[in-house]
Amino acid sequence: MGFVVTSLIFLLIGIIASLSTRIFFNKGPSANLFHLTLVLTSTTCCWMMWAIVYLAQMNPLIVPILSGE
Amino acid sequence: MDHFTDKLPQMDLMRSEKMTFVQLIIPAESAHCCITYLGQLGLLQFRDLNSEKSPFQRTFVNQVKRCAEMSRKLRFLMDQINKAGIKSSLSVLQSDTHLEDIETQLSEHEHEIIEMNSNSEKLQQSYNELLEFKIVLQKACGFLVSSHGQIVSEERELEENAYSNGDFVETPFLFEQEIVPGPSKSNQSGLRFISGIICKSKVLRFERMLFRATRGNMLFNQAPTDEQIMDPISAEMVEKTVFVVFFSGEQARRKILKICEAFGANCYPVPEDISKQTQITQEVSSRLSDLEATLDAGIRHRNKALSSVGGHLAKWMDMVRREKAVYDTLNMLNFDVTKKCLVAEGWCPIFATTQIQDALQRATFDSNSQVGVIFHSLDALESPPTYFRTNNFTNPYQEIVDAYGVARYQEANPAVYTTIIFPFLFAVMFGDWGHGICLLLGALVLIAHERKLSNQRLGSFMEMLFGGRYVILLMSLFSMYCGLIYNEFFSVPFHIFGASAYKCRDMSCRDAHTTGLVKYREPYPFGVDPSWRGSRSELPFLNSLKMKMSILFGVVHMNLGIMLSYFNARFFGSSLDIRYQFVPQMIFLNSLFGYLSLLIVVKWCTGSQADLYHIMIYMFLSPFDMLGENELFWGQRPLQILLLLLALIAVPWMLFPKPFILKKLHNERFEGRNYGVLNTSEIDLEVEPDSARAMQHHDDFNFSEVFVHQMIHSIEFVLGSVSNTASYLRLWALSLAHSELSTVFYEKVLLLAWGYDNLLIRLVGLVVFAFATAFILLMMETLSAFLHALRLHWVEFQNKFYHGDGYKFRPFSFATLADDEN
Repeated sequence: MGFVVTSLIFLLIGIIASLSTRIFFNKGPSANLFHLTLVLTSTTCCWMMWAIVYLAQMNPLIVPILSGE
Repeated sequence: MDHFTDKLPQMDLMRSEKMTFVQLIIPAESAHCCITYLGQLGLLQFRDLNSEKSPFQRTFVNQVKRCAEMSRKLRFLMDQINKAGIKSSLSVLQSDTHLEDIETQLSEHEHEIIEMNSNSEKLQQSYNELLEFKIVLQKACGFLVSSHGQIVSEERELEENAYSNGDFVETPFLFEQEIVPGPSKSNQSGLRFISGIICKSKVLRFERMLFRATRGNMLFNQAPTDEQIMDPISAEMVEKTVFVVFFSGEQARRKILKICEAFGANCYPVPEDISKQTQITQEVSSRLSDLEATLDAGIRHRNKALSSVGGHLAKWMDMVRREKAVYDTLNMLNFDVTKKCLVAEGWCPIFATTQIQDALQRATFDSNSQVGVIFHSLDALESPPTYFRTNNFTNPYQEIVDAYGVARYQEANPAVYTTIIFPFLFAVMFGDWGHGICLLLGALVLIAHERKLSNQRLGSFMEMLFGGRYVILLMSLFSMYCGLIYNEFFSVPFHIFGASAYKCRDMSCRDAHTTGLVKYREPYPFGVDPSWRGSRSELPFLNSLKMKMSILFGVVHMNLGIMLSYFNARFFGSSLDIRYQFVPQMIFLNSLFGYLSLLIVVKWCTGSQADLYHIMIYMFLSPFDMLGENELFWGQRPLQILLLLLALIAVPWMLFPKPFILKKLHNERFEGRNYGVLNTSEIDLEVEPDSARAMQHHDDFNFSEVFVHQMIHSIEFVLGSVSNTASYLRLWALSLAHSELSTVFYEKVLLLAWGYDNLLIRLVGLVVFAFATAFILLMMETLSAFLHALRLHWVEFQNKFYHGDGYKFRPFSFATLADDEN
């Protein structure tokens, strides 16, 4: 559940970022496409990183064993 | 999907700007003006039409020589100004000064300065000589007075000679005369002396030589000078010694003079008479003060002359540089048959043609020419240069890509994706949000001083740092993100996103050190759970996580590369490439490593205990065996068999069909030789891009060469898929190294020092921690992660689609002249 929700949050952030670059940095269609590519790439990278780390911890095979005395 | 991508506009940096080959026919009188305006515009790359001629055979060689001569004079004047230490203020910008005026002024100034310099040199030399004479007078007088009695007694000893009458030898009154013996004293037997000054380092040898030469019949007195004085000949400050040599006999005198000359000792005649000595000393002092005054006046005069010209120098240098560049460019043009026009050829971007035509019109108008310039496009045989319009943000990324190889004309530019993925992969290896904050501060400082730093001349290291300031900015932002995910702040985890998902099994936490904690909630919402840090099973967990993460990133990155090759093939219209290269490559990579990625994700989602190594290896070794406890999902065994078959089919699919089809197409095309060659791209992709499209390639289709090329390409891909995927494991390796270094510095330096109560030890520990973090982690690790991220881009990503054998567009532009010279 937490996975889907947070993924949707990432998607939402991506959409908002794309729209805001379109609004604030509107420099013609070819430049817009470039900015869109940049935003999409970074959103995808960040989401992938988070998702991998989240999925790896969903059903762990080992647990933390505290070190010490 | 294809229709969708076709309808999208062309993306900014994706492919090179469209270039066209143009020819200009310029009337001779407006040539200089045209080239000047084109240089200001900076969008036309001239081709050298006179490349076979030597530099001396070119038309405008005299003007180039004049410009070179002028820049030499300018450099000389700048040198003189620097040596004299004058700060020149920038003068007010005057109206256009012509080159001839500058030339005459320059030669005048140079002549003046050279003359003034040589005069002051001569004066300085006489000044030094006089100074030496004064010192010799001072010291030698002391000897002569004290040895006055000695001379008399020694002379009495030599009384066997008839001339000995107890008189002192007459020494010259004024220093201009030499020691000339009178005719009555042709047989010198009286004791005489030579006084002079010599470098202190040579005194000992000098004395020994004199002793040997005169067979001991001499008396040597010396006294060092109190301070260093300037040697008149070598113009250095050296320590000197005043000496007086007493001797008798003409031969001895000649020998001693020769020895003095050989050792570079300056001899100055000193009168014996005390009154004469004081007189000469006074004369020398007055002359010294005169010379000083003259020298000072001379230097002031020269400095005035220099500062008057100093303000203009920078501007003149600029003008001369531009003129030289204009004449160099003019040298590249051809005179046409009538000798009244110059023909220029070159490349320019298509969007710039109107601007160029505007500039040409203005030049025609300004040079009062009757005829306009003719400007039209031609077809070129060679492939055009590659031109990307970058701004301050995208420029360093484009340079990073160009450092590997400039893109072929109109092929996909990896810089589009490198802009984000390069800092991201850096951050995966660097991930620590404390270090990320430090990098961010550095980047912000560089960006804040952007205007100031861009005008300065920086050292090469600072220039690289400054040029890459936006790269560093993105690197730091992504590092902070990855640091939050890895949950490391200078290797310390925080509970920023809520409580940990692990707790003790019971209240007493007895088992925590043996069997460990237990997971009782949803996973930690963002990043690695803070309970892992410091636990004994931290490394096995993180290693497994990061290795699998590296494989996933690697497979996605490489798939992106192959997709770019698809877009390239579509752009160049090569369906052959799509069907027989892109498709089998995708199938091969994804049926093996895409499947591995799928297994990783499924194992994570289901939490099964299956051994992925075992699955992958036995998929090849014994694909038909039952999987047993390694079964992750239903239908795994048939799927594996299918994927293995697909991978096996994909290899000959990418190896064999393409060369045969190319051969067939080639034969079809050149069956009818009367037909002209159409611009088809299949053959162009096989053949070198800069060779002619014309009829020459009838018989040039070498089947064995094409086949071997295809075989190499396929084998490279197949074997490379394994090695490239494994290469991405460096993401894991470097991130582990960074985290471990960070932990060591934190625990073994800072915490250790903080454990003591002593303030001094704590301070020392803090300082060592700061230095170690700054130099090892921030500098060395940054460079290391930068390098490895770069390698991942250059090799693993770009060898899927990038050719990189183009050449860069270098227009004739005044703006780049300054950069070229520096």
